[in-house]
Amino acid sequence: MAVPVSAPDAPARPVSARHFVRLKLRVMGNNFRGQGWRIALFVVGVFFGLWFAVGGFFALAAPGLAGEPRYALLVAAFGGSLLVLGWLLLPLVFFGVDETLDPARFALLPLPRRTLVTGLFAAALVSVPVAATLLAVCGLVVTAGALGGWLAALVAVLGAAGGLLLCVAVARAVTSAFATMLRSRRVRDLAAVLLAVLAALLGPVQIFVAAAVQRADWDRLTGVARVLAWTPFGAPWTAGIDVAEGRGGAAGLKLVITGLTVGALLLWWSRTLESAMVGASSAGPARQRRGRIGGAVAELFPRAVSWARRDRFGALVARECRYWWRDARRRANLITVAVVGVFVPVMVNLGGPRLIEDGGQAFGQATADASPVLVSLSMLFVGVLASVTLANQFGFDGSAYAANVVAGVPGRVELRARMTAFSLYVVPILIAVAIVLAAALGRPGWLGVMAGALFAAYGCGLAVNSFVAVLGGYALPETTNPFAMNSGAGMAKSLLSLLSMVSSTVLGVPLVVAAALLGDVWLWLALPVGVAYGLGAALLGAYLAGDALDRRQPELLAAVTPKR
Amino acid sequence: MAEHPALSLRGLVKRFDTKVAVAGVDLDVPTGSFYGLLGPNGAGKTTTLSMAVGLLRPDAGQARVLGYDVWADPVRAKGLLGVMPDGVRLFDRLSGAELLAYHGLLRGMDPAVVDQRAAELLDVLALGDAGRTLVVDYSAGMKKKIGLACALLHGPRLLVLDEPFEAVDPVSAALIRDILHRYVLGGGTVIFSSHVMEVVERLCSHVAILAQGRICRVGTLDEVRAGRPLEEAFVAAVGGRTATGEELSWLSR
Repeated sequence: MAVPVSAPDAPARPVSARHFVRLKLRVMGNNFRGQGWRIALFVVGVFFGLWFAVGGFFALAAPGLAGEPRYALLVAAFGGSLLVLGWLLLPLVFFGVDETLDPARFALLPLPRRTLVTGLFAAALVSVPVAATLLAVCGLVVTAGALGGWLAALVAVLGAAGGLLLCVAVARAVTSAFATMLRSRRVRDLAAVLLAVLAALLGPVQIFVAAAVQRADWDRLTGVARVLAWTPFGAPWTAGIDVAEGRGGAAGLKLVITGLTVGALLLWWSRTLESAMVGASSAGPARQRRGRIGGAVAELFPRAVSWARRDRFGALVARECRYWWRDARRRANLITVAVVGVFVPVMVNLGGPRLIEDGGQAFGQATADASPVLVSLSMLFVGVLASVTLANQFGFDGSAYAANVVAGVPGRVELRARMTAFSLYVVPILIAVAIVLAAALGRPGWLGVMAGALFAAYGCGLAVNSFVAVLGGYALPETTNPFAMNSGAGMAKSLLSLLSMVSSTVLGVPLVVAAALLGDVWLWLALPVGVAYGLGAALLGAYLAGDALDRRQPELLAAVTPKR
Repeated sequence: MAEHPALSLRGLVKRFDTKVAVAGVDLDVPTGSFYGLLGPNGAGKTTTLSMAVGLLRPDAGQARVLGYDVWADPVRAKGLLGVMPDGVRLFDRLSGAELLAYHGLLRGMDPAVVDQRAAELLDVLALGDAGRTLVVDYSAGMKKKIGLACALLHGPRLLVLDEPFEAVDPVSAALIRDILHRYVLGGGTVIFSSHVMEVVERLCSHVAILAQGRICRVGTLDEVRAGRPLEEAFVAAVGGRTATGEELSWLSR
């Protein structure tokens, strides 16, 4: 007798988290096959992870090793909270999450959601950052053990494990939720606000750190740490210390808090995961767009680009312009630039010690600590950060870049057009950053210095990132999650970004040196010199990198085409 | 220029890691011909066409379009080419009209001509109703049609199409067929890859069969068919197998 076509009974071997972990390891392994540079990148990543892990380990183990129970709670609460915050923010702002196992790939398999979530979660635990974090939080176990014996150490192990799960869960849940939000256009503005709030969280942390360095007011900080230790940010990490200090009940409660938080995050994640899986197979109902009736050419050019000639350059600029807004992945990058660009310099320049002392009264009082050099430095950072968005500009296009290859677009035109289109969005943001900061510092006279440094850094960044994009382009996965990264590409992205940021900064340093050396003259000279410097760098970059692009168009296309 | 074939490939070779995808393809596509490139999955059709149009650098060999070397003189060669790749995204976050305008201007065309031709193409291909819908929201058949429109817009002398009839409904397929037929009658040359024997048999003047990276049959349609239906000639050339009925018995209840 033939077997029936559909087998309604339970599968012979149920799928468990183990399968997902093995699948992830297999995918990672296959990615390395015959790709020497990927292995090299991975090794470098492991090295960085190890470096971070050892540093973190000794920082967290210090109170135990030194026998200083006074600082144990402080270190655990603040160090641990920083870890959670890092896992929360870094994927959003810089790195993206590793989507080696893209949830959408599992959409057709008959898997219960519970199995899927636990499986993907277990697979997410297999990564270099998790291993590094794990090693670092072992320091907490050492501290707890040294101060409270083996029972405290045991609880610390439980707490650290729970905390690690919490870190990974928070990264997954938040990026997945954001991806869903950014996909539906109605709430994308809400997403921008949410991201702004998240970035604003950097503020308090930075103020606490500044206070710790400046005043060493341990009593007040310990108070804060106590409060923090009862939130999900600090709870998992301080449980072991509680046992060591004889508060067994508190430790138990904190473990419960941790468990509940992880559970809630996973629940949230599983909700958004479902919509991500469905969203991948159908991107929602087709939108009927209305607009002016006119020729095709008039339709292509947005109003902001209406000045451009109707030629190759103009078409490229117009298309890029449309893409920076219509492509969720690009839009997420733009929003990040806007939010981080405004918040970080304000924090750096206002978060000085004076602010703490005055309890955050009037902003103007903080100016005693700000200087043109510090301001220029922070502007340098913003300009570099803005331009690093272009480090994989061809990766955004993916295989669609073939159209430009077939048309034989000269590399210089291509790069200049891309710079122009991106600048149409970013330059207004940069100007806003300079004005907001000048207003916040109460120093309108420094506007020139700020804008000069900003534009110089931005221009240098454009030049450097043209090279990075042409020589180091890589494929982004074809998912609708703007934060998704390919396995291995996460490391590649971080390293390339780091490389481009360092080189751009080096190129922009002369402006800071000038600010330090020239004094008041610079207040007037900075803007014209900075703009000229930036513009010159960008044009030179487009000229030289365009040459390289002409020579390796097909190779670049192959590099940015996602493998299927 | 008349003596140059529309497309001439000489000794094209491409290796991916250790796998040889294309192992030395020579092919001449005469001007004014309607050329069908047949082959089973993985035979190297897409790889060959990609190398012919400048999307993929060959490890060895030459590709010439009307006498201009695609790799040595890309500007001239690419100007004569219209390409519709398969499995490649379009810039699909543009509307159909925007996409056409982009392609036209990218080819250095006059804006007024772009406007006029884009309107005409959208009308003929029945894409005008889509209005400002983004191409990403188009159906598969509509995507093929807008891809074809992009390839035709600048009036190329040679049209290279990778799987133009895949995932296309019969109505659209008939439309595409008619357009290509008229294009060839007007002096253009078409080479396209396909699995659909019936279409190839009806349209093509010449056929080449590609298997395992090599051309194994080439010539006019009648030469390749040699009196049999094309499908038989194809399966015989490629060396297929037919199911005996013994295996996969569990498929039947």
